[in-house]
Amino acid sequence: MQQEQHGNKSAETCEGFGPRWTLFAAGELDAAEIAEMNEHLLHCANCNATLAQENALLALLSTNRTEPDAALLAGCRASLEDALDQEEEHGWLRRAISTWMPGSWISPAPAWSAALLLLIGFSVGILGPRFLRHSPAPNSAGQPGISSSASTLTAVANPDDPASSSLSTLDLHTANFAGMNVFPSRNNEPPQVELQLNTRQPITVQGTVNDDEVKSVLLYFLHNSQRFDADARMNAVELLRARNNDADVRAALCQTVHTDQNAAVRLKALEALDGAEPQDIIRQTLLDALVDDHNPGVRVEAINALREMAAKGQVDSDDHLLAVLRDRVQKDPSTYIRLQSAAAIRDLGPRQKF
Amino acid sequence: MGISVAFEGDARAAATVKLAEEQALVRSAQAGDRLAFEELVRRFDREVLRLALNLVKRPEDARDIYQESFLRVYRNLHRFRFECSFYTWLYRIVTNVALDHLRRRTSRREDQAPVPEEAEGGTRDFFDRQPEMRAAANPERHLLGQELGEHIATALDRLSPRERMVFEMKHYQGLKLRAIGDMLGTSEETVKNSLFRATRKLRASLDGMR
Repeated sequence: MQQEQHGNKSAETCEGFGPRWTLFAAGELDAAEIAEMNEHLLHCANCNATLAQENALLALLSTNRTEPDAALLAGCRASLEDALDQEEEHGWLRRAISTWMPGSWISPAPAWSAALLLLIGFSVGILGPRFLRHSPAPNSAGQPGISSSASTLTAVANPDDPASSSLSTLDLHTANFAGMNVFPSRNNEPPQVELQLNTRQPITVQGTVNDDEVKSVLLYFLHNSQRFDADARMNAVELLRARNNDADVRAALCQTVHTDQNAAVRLKALEALDGAEPQDIIRQTLLDALVDDHNPGVRVEAINALREMAAKGQVDSDDHLLAVLRDRVQKDPSTYIRLQSAAAIRDLGPRQKF
Repeated sequence: MGISVAFEGDARAAATVKLAEEQALVRSAQAGDRLAFEELVRRFDREVLRLALNLVKRPEDARDIYQESFLRVYRNLHRFRFECSFYTWLYRIVTNVALDHLRRRTSRREDQAPVPEEAEGGTRDFFDRQPEMRAAANPERHLLGQELGEHIATALDRLSPRERMVFEMKHYQGLKLRAIGDMLGTSEETVKNSLFRATRKLRASLDGMR
């Protein structure tokens, strides 16, 4: 029998039982241990006192509990909804940055990451000076421009050498995007574009969006969105906007609205369709975006564009269109879209009850 | 016996359905379905808010923890690979946010604005100033309760953020020590030790109150 004298304040427990009473009171012991403890309690006054103290402590602390009231919960939900709206507007950029920031890939594989960083360090140390020695003077006579260059190590081929800018389909299939520079032009002409690609050898494609080679590379970016980053696709959409009446460009923009994984790119593509000749493919794209796109910003742009086209008399009212709009009036989670859809029905068709 | 087995079977089937539903919701949310994400939030947010509120006491702070946690979940949902339950993954994020908050608070406690004292005048409105007419009202008891609450709050403040978190999750969220270890990214043994330390400190601080 393991029974000991106990003091008047904190009972001394038997050897081997001490901290286990905390686990006993917390319900963390298995059935066999519980049976052993219960058996011990039948004979030990000290341990009974210890357990009573544990339970009294928990009972005392339970008097200080706070339950969140409904108003606080509702306030939290409303604030979160607003924050999520903002997040959807700006989140793609943050996600892209976080994907490329070291923290996101160093922590899961520290050893490989350290080796990779060492390798990159050596490569930059050895190859960097060589590239710097051979790299030509800045292009376009130092004109200001926006750049989305992915690497400062990309060797730019000589634009005067035709071989360096001739692109085959194979080149495009194997090309990696290295950077894009856009230089504004004067007199309302399309901007000059410099596209840097890494294939078997670095290639630079220069010209305006009116040049077929530039256009084909930009379209290739959109058709193969999974291979090129959102920044490149955004720039491609922006540049192609000037040719939105070209059938290939229009089709690519519509495809981007349907399939690009990035909401900002889809939104940009919708904007780029603004001003194009009204055609069924555009109308259908707007309707698809309005119904299927999960991003409220894209859906807002789609309903705005539809209303604008309707105001200009560029949309024929038909049953399908009205059915889609009625569906949005009833189901879209955005109040703005529901209201605009109702207004579009009012503009386009006979007054209906829904 | 037969009935209890049937109940257990039903409960297991219900849990399986619930898990499948939850996984479907997570997949939809990962694909960008905002409504699915909001449904996930609604499934868990009351517990998250309760945990936050009981850790930090001030509703404004609890709201910050709630919002920061769910925003982190939203931003990182694409990284969730179903290697643990969504609940465990969510709580990993919530506990990290709450621990950061507790550590910040501990390091700059002097800068904290005091919790509005309901008992003091000044900010109370007309209805607060009216005499309590309920039969159960007992000023002495009310005062004792308030004093006790302050003692408990002081005792809890003496715990380290991690001890506080473990104690809260064990005794008020009703989680098993192993699950708490999973959520805090540590072993069950370490959690157990934190619980022992927390209990010992609380016992010492509140000795004489029981």
